[in-house]
Amino acid sequence: MPEVGSDRRMHDAEERVVGTVPFVLDVRVDGMAHAKAVRSPFPHARIRSVRTDDALAVPGVLLVLTGADLDADPEVNPYYGSPRPDQPALAIGKARYAGEPVAVVVAETAAAAAAAAPLVEVDYEELPHVVDANEAARPGAPVVHDAWPDNGCGSWRVRHGDPDAALASADRVYTGVYHSPSASHVPMEPMVCIADWTGGGLEVWSATQAPHAVREALEKMFAVPPGGVRVRTLNVGGGYGAKTQVKIEPLVACAARAAGRPVRMELARDEVFLTAAKHAATVELTTGVRDDGTIVARRVKVNYNAGAYALSSPIASGQGLTRANGPYTIPNVAIESVATYTNTVPSCPFRGAMTSQLAFAYESQLDDIAADLGMDPLELRRKNLLRDGEVYPTGEVMHDLHYDELLDDLERAIDWGGPPEPAPPGKARGKGIAIMLKNTLTPTRSEARLRLVPDGRVHLDSSTVELGQGSHPTLLQLTADHLGISADRLVRGFPDTAHTPYDTTTSSSRSTHAMGTALERAAADLKRRLRALAADHWGVPAEEVEVADGHVAHPGTGERLPWEGLLAATGTGEVVGEGVFAPDFGLTLLEDPHDVRGRVTVHWHQGGAAAEVEVDLETGRVEVLRMHANCYAGRVVSPLRVRQQNQGCAVFGLGPTLFEELHYQDGTLTNPNLSDYMIPSILDVPAVITSSALEAGDESAELHGVGEMALPAVAPAVANALFAATGTRIDRLPLTPERVLRALGEHDPVKEETG
Amino acid sequence: MTAPVVREPGSTREACALLAADPWGTKVVSGGTALVLMMRQGLVAPQSLVALWRIPGLAGITRAGDVLRIGATTTLAEVAASPLVRSVAPSLAHACSVVGNPRIRNVATLGGNLAEADYASDPPAALASLGARCHATGPDGTREIPVRDLVTGFYETVLDHAELITHVDVPIAGPGRRATYLKYRTRSSEDRPCVGVAARLDADERGRVRELDVVVAAVAPTLHRVPAALDAAAGRAVDDALAGEVARSYAEAVEPLEDARGSAWYRRRMVEVLVRRAVQRFTAPEEVVRSA
Amino acid sequence: MTAEPEVADAVPSGSTRTVTLRLNGETRTVEIDQAATLLQVLRDQLGITSARSACGIGVCGACTVLVDGKVTSSCIMLAAQAHDREITTGEGLRLPSGELSAVQRAFVDRGAYQCSFCIPAMVLTVHAALQDPEAGRDVESVREYLAGNLCRCGTYPTILEAVADLVGAEPADGGAA
Repeated sequence: MPEVGSDRRMHDAEERVVGTVPFVLDVRVDGMAHAKAVRSPFPHARIRSVRTDDALAVPGVLLVLTGADLDADPEVNPYYGSPRPDQPALAIGKARYAGEPVAVVVAETAAAAAAAAPLVEVDYEELPHVVDANEAARPGAPVVHDAWPDNGCGSWRVRHGDPDAALASADRVYTGVYHSPSASHVPMEPMVCIADWTGGGLEVWSATQAPHAVREALEKMFAVPPGGVRVRTLNVGGGYGAKTQVKIEPLVACAARAAGRPVRMELARDEVFLTAAKHAATVELTTGVRDDGTIVARRVKVNYNAGAYALSSPIASGQGLTRANGPYTIPNVAIESVATYTNTVPSCPFRGAMTSQLAFAYESQLDDIAADLGMDPLELRRKNLLRDGEVYPTGEVMHDLHYDELLDDLERAIDWGGPPEPAPPGKARGKGIAIMLKNTLTPTRSEARLRLVPDGRVHLDSSTVELGQGSHPTLLQLTADHLGISADRLVRGFPDTAHTPYDTTTSSSRSTHAMGTALERAAADLKRRLRALAADHWGVPAEEVEVADGHVAHPGTGERLPWEGLLAATGTGEVVGEGVFAPDFGLTLLEDPHDVRGRVTVHWHQGGAAAEVEVDLETGRVEVLRMHANCYAGRVVSPLRVRQQNQGCAVFGLGPTLFEELHYQDGTLTNPNLSDYMIPSILDVPAVITSSALEAGDESAELHGVGEMALPAVAPAVANALFAATGTRIDRLPLTPERVLRALGEHDPVKEETG
Repeated sequence: MTAPVVREPGSTREACALLAADPWGTKVVSGGTALVLMMRQGLVAPQSLVALWRIPGLAGITRAGDVLRIGATTTLAEVAASPLVRSVAPSLAHACSVVGNPRIRNVATLGGNLAEADYASDPPAALASLGARCHATGPDGTREIPVRDLVTGFYETVLDHAELITHVDVPIAGPGRRATYLKYRTRSSEDRPCVGVAARLDADERGRVRELDVVVAAVAPTLHRVPAALDAAAGRAVDDALAGEVARSYAEAVEPLEDARGSAWYRRRMVEVLVRRAVQRFTAPEEVVRSA
Repeated sequence: MTAEPEVADAVPSGSTRTVTLRLNGETRTVEIDQAATLLQVLRDQLGITSARSACGIGVCGACTVLVDGKVTSSCIMLAAQAHDREITTGEGLRLPSGELSAVQRAFVDRGAYQCSFCIPAMVLTVHAALQDPEAGRDVESVREYLAGNLCRCGTYPTILEAVADLVGAEPADGGAA
């Protein structure tokens, strides 16, 4: 019985539901102290001096560490960040955003640390600040980092065909500017970390999506050899990108080093808001079409707001570049994608990373074009779809594309041809669809190890993090099929960089494919080694030994020996199979970021969404009545989990579509809590929410990750439904009632119905 | 900073004495949902908390003649679920049922809700529209305060520091009474109101206005009410024209605030839409008390 | 000040005091900081993990516990307030035999969990909704009860499937795989 295709339950399902499944939030280490950050109240300020006397006088306070202390320590490189190490564990010299840690208090109790933090007196000299990335990109704007005087934090270009000529000769040219604001990931488990130097090296517990990235960063900071830092994680209570890369671990490690004892830091919700955010983006989009609807040219300029520190923005902006064309065949294209430093919370990938901002632009504009041409939006898409054999602006000849099926599925699911249900008086209804294309992180590296031990079980060593997406059962199911045994024989612990091999990150919807491939190779390696061991034992040629069903079979006698029997017979302790997935191509390996040519992804992620909405013409409030989310999955490992990912995309996506937005006033985030910043509740879920995962119907089809495929399509699908209902186009998210009402006013809505 | 001491007096008299003895260092805690939150956020740092939870007789819902009496420490969930409240003051039951979430309503009390004076809360408007009066007791004795006059500004009331609300009296009307509460949210279903409209109509036998009251919450620091517009409605038929006129008066008179739930411009528009819709509910033949 | 005799005992001398909780059927007496929230005491002193801090302001529901059978945000309730009261957490919903409760079983059977941080609180809320004589025993009533329990993974549709199983209703729309 193959495991793939079944809904293998998580092994710890009962503990998940009861509440005893372990999170890093639950970890306690003997003798640990507690840390609380002192944060800058100013978006941009020089730090003149820090007085710690009053804070140190609070009973239980052990120490206060400042950026100047780190700067003066010859054994610490306080700056981290990959690819651009621009972020200090504590602000040194300058604070670059309101909320940046400038000092940290370590105390016997969390309460004492929290009480002392406001007593740290920092003398600031305020500097001019900039919040908006377009302003920051202009000459003369406040400079966030002296080393990057133009505030540039990533710059990529691609050119394909002759876009200037094609736009000049197009029958019609459409230009729009589309804005997506910053948003907060809101993982329910906050960032939490314990660092402990007392065992000789540095041991870290962290709720992270990327334990090895944290290990590497800390090894670099403290100049310890690879393996000198050990990073462990447990179940992670949601990430959505917020816990990728390195976040609070450097600060906690510095605090623990200074304290000489283990230090724990758990962020309060406002601090989670101040640690990572979604890239706000402005997309300038110009598209040239022929009168028959054929798209002949496209020019895109996207500016992502990187926030105050780079994190992954220098590369993520390049991923934006490779996604900006959208899933259409366009012979003449010019794309420029930049990220720009500002004095705001540092930006990092946000479920549907870099793509949601683009899909909102290109899918909104496409429906405008359809309306102008008098074409059905679905037909306009079909006319221009990117299909196998077409050339992408990067020069790649595309394959394994499935947009025709995705569109057919959306058409069916939303009953595209049928009229919307009649709306009650004062309201209007409409339907919208959208699709998206997204690459996955490439180059990338996943290593896996399978260890057959004497009791016959196979240990699966992998650093993929269980975020609730079900990576654990998914990897078990895949491995079980590759080994030809039941997943019940597989054992897997939590990521631990001392024991589980290297993996770049658990994000970018990459793990099912990347780690799955590494495990496939590890399984083949394990079988090869078992074959060799059996061949040696029996004195027969290895290639004649059969390995199946947890047994090895003698080619001559047909004798079948269970694997554990083979280990016993040969006195072998364990047999280890290893596998690596590490494509030798990808975005960061290309020659010229200003002439992006070549393969940028192992495969293309494909998804879509359809929505039916009802708009209150008097209040502007949009209610999503019905939503369908779909994606191409290649092969479905677990129907339940794929459905949960698609529905999760629909629910998660409705937040930034309808109301999620980080607000800044005078450079300060004004809504860093879950009352002023709301996320969708169960009552915000559309009454009808459906999903589909398309399979190749071919056992050799590549597995695709499905964690964020429908998400970028949600906002444009809703915006297009609103357009269909009212004729009103809104080019700025979220689609708040106020924004909709203002737009309805400008559009001169059906006054007779509202008056 | 030291943790506050929790004092648990056994009578209102003692509670008031504790409050009067230390006007700067004490805070009353009833359900605590708002106060504990403010303490956690560092907005208040009392040295001692005067808890009401051991004082007998402060909770409960009773009817005495044509008055519905609700004790101050009655929870919002209890008010919302009370068959008595549902039968004689359904708009109040509804307003209490849409506050926050079930966890808040199980703990937060009606007296605490009033004393907190949160501009974006639902029950005060409903109470005010029904002509409710709260009873307060303090070192100088007891007094009655109409709910509509209770709040004087952002989180400010006419109550003295050492005064406690003991109960709220809601007049019960005979036939011809209709009342409604409309909560309008602009974001998640869990949002607080952008605009909350409580309306009450006492009609004569011919269905004409004997008394109309409309109280709008969440649009200004205090409850928004336009007496002139209400007076002008007396004797009129309850129809769309009346609803539109009252709504326009309320929209013109409001000095709207701005917050994450809407700008001043938007709030003024929504005051007009929502007041009109609230009054229009009385033009429908059947009793309607559910929210939009 | 005119302290009445029964009050004098309750006036504490320092910033700590003793509270007695009936936690998951067991009587537990602990010395607490006067300002401690119920959540802090449950997690830091009583070994409870199912109630979790996420928003700190009573809006997300991850810290839900039952106080005398009613859902409560333990992050904004003083532990002192819980003195002498019945506290039930996710751990305490298990049957005396150690088996899962019907609500817990329904969640497990439907796979109604992803990262699972919010799930024990969802389970307690569904449990309370089904026990509440004021609430209807149907999917819509339970859904309204759950409105204040946030899940960022977007597991809501699967949770509603589990609820439908519990109330014996057809799920509104499970979606096609």
